[in-house]
Parts: sequence; C-alpha cells; structure tokens
Amino acid sequence: MVDPGPVNDDVWVVIPVFNEAQVLEQVVRQTLVVFPNVVCVDDGSRDGSVEAVLRTRAHLVRHPVNLGQGAALQTGLTYARAQPGARYFVMFDADGQHRLEDASTMVQVARSGAADVVLGTRFAENAESVPLLKRIVLRTAVLLSPAGRKLKLTDAHNGLRVLTRPVADDLQITMNGMAHASEIVSYLGRSSWRVREVPVSIRYTEYSRSKGQSLLNGVNILFDLSVRQRGG
Amino acid sequence: MLIQIILVVAVVAVLFLFVRSSGAVYVQASKRIALVLFAIANIYAVMRPDDLTAVARVLGVGRGTDLVLYALVVAFMAGMFSFYQRFRVVDRRYTELARTVAIREAELVNRERGIVPEPVVSTGDGGALPTVER
Repeated sequence: MVDPGPVNDDVWVVIPVFNEAQVLEQVVRQTLVVFPNVVCVDDGSRDGSVEAVLRTRAHLVRHPVNLGQGAALQTGLTYARAQPGARYFVMFDADGQHRLEDASTMVQVARSGAADVVLGTRFAENAESVPLLKRIVLRTAVLLSPAGRKLKLTDAHNGLRVLTRPVADDLQITMNGMAHASEIVSYLGRSSWRVREVPVSIRYTEYSRSKGQSLLNGVNILFDLSVRQRGG
Repeated sequence: MLIQIILVVAVVAVLFLFVRSSGAVYVQASKRIALVLFAIANIYAVMRPDDLTAVARVLGVGRGTDLVLYALVVAFMAGMFSFYQRFRVVDRRYTELARTVAIREAELVNRERGIVPEPVVSTGDGGALPTVER
C-alpha cells in the first residue's frame, strides 16, 4: 500500500470515468487512501461504473449524456473548485495506469511553490516502458506543438497533471473529446504559469492498453484543434 | 490557366476563413452577402447560358456548366465549414447545459450519500451556475 504521507485534504483528484467498472472501484479505493477528496465524473457509462463509485466515499458527478473525456475533466474541475478548501487539483486516469506515488510527488512539487502546473512525463527516466510506436507518435506530437516546444515539454499527452488553484480557476477546457490534452498544453504555452514536468511511470497493463486511445485518433485531434472555435 | 489559379485561391481562402474566423459580425455579414451574390449569379447563369459560356472561355474552362460545377465545389466547401463551425458553437452550449445539470444533481446526491459534511454553497463556474440559497 502507499504511504499516506501528509494529509492531502486540500487536494482534489478528478477522475473522468467512461465504462471502467472492471478496475474503477479498486483505483478509487487506493486513491482515497492517499487523497481523501476524489470526484469521479461519469461520462454516461453503460456498465457498472456508477455503482462502483457509489460503493466508495468518492464524490460522483454524472453527465446526463456522453460528452467526452475533456468535458468530463472540466466538469470535475468545476465541481472540485466549488468545494471548500480545494487548493490543488489532480487529473488522474480511471484505468489504473497512473501511480499514486507519482501523484503525491507532483502535489509536493506544487505545494513547494516551485510551479503552478505540474505535468507527468513518461520520457524523463524510463522511456523504454512506453511501447515504441506510441513513443514515436507522442514525441512527434510534442515537437509539432509550438507551445510544447516553448515549454520544453517532453510529454504533452500524459493524463497525470496537478493544477494549483489559480490555474484551475483560469483554465477552461473546451475540447470535449481527446484534443483536450493538446488544448491544455497550448493554453499553458500562452499563459505565464510556471510549468514543471515530473517523471512518472505508466503501468501499461493489458487493461489500460485495451482502453488506450488508438493512435489514429491523433488525426481527429489535429483536425479538432486546427478548427477550434475562437471566441464566440 | 486562369481558372486554376482562381479555384486554388478560393479554396485556400475558404480554408483560411474557416480556421481563422472568430464569429465576428463582419464574417457573418460577408457570409450572407456571398450567399446572395451566389444566388444572383446562379439565376443569371440559368437565364443567359451563352454569357456564362463566354465567361468560361475567358477563364479557360470549356463550357459554362463546368464553371458552375467548379463554383459549386467551392461554395459547397464553404457551406460545409460554416455549418461545422455553427455545430461547434451549439455543441459548446449543450456541454455547458449538461455540466450545469450534472453538478447540481451531484451536489444533492453526494449530500444524500453523506459524504458532503455541510451544505455546499456553489460559487459556480464564471456565472454558469447560480448561487444556491440554503
């Protein structure tokens, strides 16, 4: 089990959920040990995901219809922001691919005041754990993004992120689908927030692999981003 | 050929407008003016096909109907992009609506489950959610 460390009652973990019943309850229970405040945003799951959350002490927000992962993250942030005492916001995947130790480390970095935004990166230390094709595509994605280059990011599409309060108040994710990761990076590139990357490792289990997005989806993401509605 | 240059420029212009446009008033207005002009040009083309063919010759297209076809392709692209943008705006509103509903319901549900210690006063999302009076 994970060492509880400091009392993280000013931390809110946002977990977007879409048909994750198989692993969700375990992930949420383990998360609750380290971070007492967890909000799961169910994005219209049709399996037992909702019941899994209800069996735990995690907060549950349910989208009435399926909107996409980006929308679920934004809903979770909006909900968590309204809770008293919330100062740090952790984005965490429901499929169990992130490690709580990494999340704790990242929260500590944010707490130390060294950064306003802490992003996880798969490429700092143990890049070999990432499948080769995925590695190439993710690397290219970073190099293609002007904001990613500006921030000297090594991994723009890691789902593990920690935001401090002012950033969470300012950020508005409008990309409902999977393009939100690039949207967040380009937002950070335009802003003056101090961004730090912290090495994390990803558990590429059989389950998380099967849930992971297809690389072809990158085409959709690029299209969505290039035609983003500006303003109105 | 002249027509090739014109077509390529038109398609690029449509793409550029599509990516750049900010929903500003002048964009809206120019879209509508373009629509009216296109309609008038079509009526004229139907009434005087010989004139159209003359124009087509000048531009380096064989027949007037070919010219109409090319113009249609450009207009179709522009219309589709415009529609897509409109769809994105609607989608965004729909998301905000769903989010507001979800959060309101969640506050009730989580209080009933007993994991929210005290009534939470929602400060809302930039005015998207009104303050809950308790």
